[in-house]
Amino acid sequence: MNPDLVIMALMAGAANWAFRALPVMLMKGEARPGGIAARFLASTGPAAIATLFVASVLPQVWPVPRDVWPLAAGVAATVLAFLPRRSVVAGTLAGAAGYAAAFWMLA
Amino acid sequence: MSDKTKGPGFGAGLWAGLPIAMGYFPIAFSFGVAAGRAGLDGIEATFLSLAIYAGASQFLALALVAEGAPALVAGFTLIAMNLRHLLYGPALMKQAGADAPRRHAWAWAWGLTDEVFGQALGALARGQRFSEAWMFGLGLAAYGAWTGGTALGAWAGGGALEAYPALNAGLGFMLAALFLSLLMSILTRAALPAIAVAVVATVAGTLFWSGTAGILAGMIGGALAGVLRR
Repeated sequence: MNPDLVIMALMAGAANWAFRALPVMLMKGEARPGGIAARFLASTGPAAIATLFVASVLPQVWPVPRDVWPLAAGVAATVLAFLPRRSVVAGTLAGAAGYAAAFWMLA
Repeated sequence: MSDKTKGPGFGAGLWAGLPIAMGYFPIAFSFGVAAGRAGLDGIEATFLSLAIYAGASQFLALALVAEGAPALVAGFTLIAMNLRHLLYGPALMKQAGADAPRRHAWAWAWGLTDEVFGQALGALARGQRFSEAWMFGLGLAAYGAWTGGTALGAWAGGGALEAYPALNAGLGFMLAALFLSLLMSILTRAALPAIAVAVVATVAGTLFWSGTAGILAGMIGGALAGVLRR
């Protein structure tokens, strides 16, 4: 196995464990609301997810647009399936199905 | 029927994790396929899912490996992506109550992904009693689907999907759909500045430099926008 890959994965995995488990194990009180650290951490999630969504669709619209209609159908299906029950799983699966259906119809 | 004193058990947690597992499996499958296309073998791809267990980070890991990024740089980049997980444990335990057990948190909290956290928090909000056994079951259903889907995707390879171009295209959009759904699930007025700055910075960084630079610019710019917000 590639040593660089192992180092990268173990670093990221150890940090993920620390992020998820240590606060539960160590923090007995609540973080001071409104502090700089709390605001930074609170903003990291939305910023990361927004970034990843843009990064995942941007290659389809720039520099050469491709499969734009399936992309539009996938986005619409995701939104429409998510809204009724605010289900991430339903939105994800419906989005992929909508994209695949539009891709198949236009092929 | 669950014991009202002890809370729901391991099996109930597994059952509650079924919708997450159904959502995770195809995404993990597409990760396994993508890992194969990036030059990783099945063991390496499955190892990434076992050791990192964070979807977006793993896809970014493939991009960083493909670009030849140094291991330490790549590792710290992946770490920065998951800082938001710091908030999940405290938020969950606050909802669980001060007397909630946390003796085995070192094990079950490994499974506190975005979706597991959301499912657990929702169950507690609906009045369910907190139980570490239930958390184990919930987390294991998701973790098993994730690692199993990766292994199967890596084993089947991209060739398995080439005969089904529409399915292949749909799987390719799965990650974007997951991010869009997650974005809608956390969308609040307070988060809008961070999201707006992240979007602009990602586009600008990608157009003027590279995709990796765009991702870093979006995350850092968005997080800083949240700090500066009054």
